[in-house]
Amino acid sequence: MIDLLFIGLSFLAISGAVAMIVYANPMYSALGVLISMLSVAGIFALLNATFLFMVQIIVYAGAIMTLILFILMFLNIKEEDLPKEPHKFKFITFGALIMIPLNVLILKAVSKLPSKDLLLTNTDFGDMGPLGLQLYNNWLVAFELISILLLVALIGAVVLAKKRTTRVKHVGEVS
Amino acid sequence: MISLTSLAFVSMMLFSIGAIGVIARRNIFVIYMSLEMMLNGINLFLVTFARYHFNMDPQIVSIMVIAIAAAEAAIFLSVIILLFRSKKSLDTDIFNTLTQGEKS
Repeated sequence: MIDLLFIGLSFLAISGAVAMIVYANPMYSALGVLISMLSVAGIFALLNATFLFMVQIIVYAGAIMTLILFILMFLNIKEEDLPKEPHKFKFITFGALIMIPLNVLILKAVSKLPSKDLLLTNTDFGDMGPLGLQLYNNWLVAFELISILLLVALIGAVVLAKKRTTRVKHVGEVS
Repeated sequence: MISLTSLAFVSMMLFSIGAIGVIARRNIFVIYMSLEMMLNGINLFLVTFARYHFNMDPQIVSIMVIAIAAAEAAIFLSVIILLFRSKKSLDTDIFNTLTQGEKS
């Protein structure tokens, strides 16, 4: 049962990723990424990472992909705004050939490791409580730095997206 | 079936497809989503090894990666809005203001 669930989720994750690089319309690509993110969240749940399962659904699928879809609709992209990509599949084949050695290396290294069964356990591994204790005891500096990073990103996004008419006109004249 | 090698295969597939998207596509939105896909593959790898070694530190690194991806999304999307406003295009080949030679 668990094996079947894992095979289905991984198939959905990989096919969503393939749909992302194949479709020309970015809206379909975003929906493919959404399917892939939700499937990866399912695999997290199979690996006992219950808190990460929720974080993945809330942050990735709920916030980041919704933001991308919102910006896509907000920009009102027409068919003629999309870049023409006549050699797309040639480049995809080329990229796949480049990525083969890295994949072979990693998979060979991983398959040499002693095998363990990675089934679901009944312990509280990956639950919110133990994970929070670990986060606040051993990773406190990183946690605080992440909070500062998020604050800076928030301010930076507001400053960048603000309308600056004079500046934009100047850049248009130069180019 | 749910072994270390199959999980590593899935996460490496996600990472590789993301890298191929960065190489092959010219639409700036698809390039951004490919970057997210690479981060997702690495997250899956980290969580796999967290379960393998029964240690929760990789999961915390994974939470950090998700937080950085959220910060990156805000900045990247506002930069995309600026670029689209000034150039009216999503093609990455148009954004070549810093190149020498002919101007677009």
